[in-house]
Amino acid sequence: MSRPRGPTRLSKPYPGSRIEILNDASLRSEGRRPTELRAPTFEVVPGGADSADGSASASMGLTSVRVEVFGPREGRSRAQTLHDRASVNVEVVWVAFGEAGRRRRGRGDRRVAELTSSLRDTFQPAILTALYPRAQIDIHVHILAHDGALLSTCINATSLALLSAGVPMRDLVAAVTAGVHGSTVLCDLTALEEADMPSATVAVLPRSGKVALVGMETRLHVERFGEMFDVARRAAGVLCAEMRAVARGRAREILDAMDSGPAVLREGENDSGAVMVEE
Amino acid sequence: MATVSLSKAEVAYIKTSLEATPPLRSDGRGLYDYRTIALETGVAPLANGSAHLKFGQASEQATEGTEVIAAARLEVEDVESGEGVNGGRISCTVSCSPSAYPHSSAAAIEDIQHDYTALLHEVISHPSLRPSNLSILRDLKSWLLNLDILVLSDAGNIYDALFVAAQAALWDTKVPRTRTVEYSAATSKARVALGGSGDMDVDSVEQSGFNVRDVKTAADFELEDYWDEGEPLRGGDAWPVCVTLNLYPPLYYLDATSTEEVATPSRLLVMYSFPADQPPRLQGMRLLGPSEIGLPLIKTLTQTAQTYATDLSCALRAKLKDEDLRRTEKARQRFASVR
Repeated sequence: MSRPRGPTRLSKPYPGSRIEILNDASLRSEGRRPTELRAPTFEVVPGGADSADGSASASMGLTSVRVEVFGPREGRSRAQTLHDRASVNVEVVWVAFGEAGRRRRGRGDRRVAELTSSLRDTFQPAILTALYPRAQIDIHVHILAHDGALLSTCINATSLALLSAGVPMRDLVAAVTAGVHGSTVLCDLTALEEADMPSATVAVLPRSGKVALVGMETRLHVERFGEMFDVARRAAGVLCAEMRAVARGRAREILDAMDSGPAVLREGENDSGAVMVEE
Repeated sequence: MATVSLSKAEVAYIKTSLEATPPLRSDGRGLYDYRTIALETGVAPLANGSAHLKFGQASEQATEGTEVIAAARLEVEDVESGEGVNGGRISCTVSCSPSAYPHSSAAAIEDIQHDYTALLHEVISHPSLRPSNLSILRDLKSWLLNLDILVLSDAGNIYDALFVAAQAALWDTKVPRTRTVEYSAATSKARVALGGSGDMDVDSVEQSGFNVRDVKTAADFELEDYWDEGEPLRGGDAWPVCVTLNLYPPLYYLDATSTEEVATPSRLLVMYSFPADQPPRLQGMRLLGPSEIGLPLIKTLTQTAQTYATDLSCALRAKLKDEDLRRTEKARQRFASVR
């Protein structure tokens, strides 16, 4: 590899060439339609002894996040405890393997700090913290791979992890990242698309339809924003249905394991007092 | 690293069980038995090589046990102006997730991280293990291989897990193939190459036979094929495995859980490397813990560790080859059968 060969002809398309965001047939670079989401993979894993109370992982395409939840438990330092409710503590471990550019992002890094505070602000109102005064709920987010839509994947994974840990919440929080290219709204952006267009992350509480978080760091005309916001909200509703299906599957597993599944799910026997799977 | 606290009664219970005949351990294993090891390579498609390792996880559903993810990423470094070294170099970092040590403060986790990083880096980045295909352009550019390891949970025997995961990730690493590109001096019809964009011809420098000056031509490199993953990292058979011997003189045992590690805090870590066609090499050794161990005992232990290291290394190689097969040939067969 050290001796240069003769004249070199670079005839293959170089990676620096621009990738089309949306081609003539209105398809994106991976062949998705504008409002099509990447295939989500949600996994809810129960905590074992001496480890996390709840653990879940979510991946949208190549973006992969794993969240572990501890708590509610006694706070580690008295200074952080609140007398009338639980304090929600989020820590983000960003060891994104394969991300080009800067490597390990420590805790003081700007992106990590913003992610941490967005997650805390999203889940503090969603969790019923008033039930656990002087307690602490620890949410540890591990970012395994980053290919766009990072904040929304983190929010989805955290919702499932809190569900797996049995932390009472008002509702599952589902989030989606959407952007605008020209006049088309695109859902669930990859890293290349995120770099190229204004985008926003919208998190909703599907049952009430309330919005838990709207985050945007780019500039966008206010007329376009309304349409993008609507599409993102509907997409989040769809994702929430997926997450509920996973949660229901997990609950069914637990019931089967407890061997009381068939007895409870039979119709007309609602007052058995055992856990109900909501249909 | 144990953050579990045990009472004197529990410690005595574990110690007397080890001394019993036959020796008893809480999960019914023998003194020299490992827990179930689950290994998967290629878990991070954005990295050049990756591996996911679990010790002692009974099923897919549980999260107990020691869990480690390792990934290797390649970066280009300048040899002249940067920190690059001719022939490339390797740098290891270990991060501990706060969920691995849920009762420790952030400062304690930093200390634990530093211990693991220091040991792993010292052993793996040693010049005797450096692979031969990490150089790009002599004296100009070379590859830096960043090996990042994330500890997701720790249930004992973390050092063995770190080294196995590191070897698996390095085995899985592919180095992109590069080709040198020369800039030609401006002649009447020459075109200047700017790092490669679009079609162009690069003319070789025309030199007169009487020109005896040593003209330095600026050189750069390009990837032969952007979408090709590259060739496997060489030196795959020389990566070391670590065997942790937990010492409770005159006994020793392998693969301790976290409670056993607290009960018998003295440990001897031995790292062996088995390069092809060469005798086994001792790559590193470390004694951890508060007690003193006599030199004759250490000599015997180093010898016995070699047998366990050989077994572990053979099993690991077999598994890695099987993983390669699974991802290439078997996947092809499945795809063909589905179509």
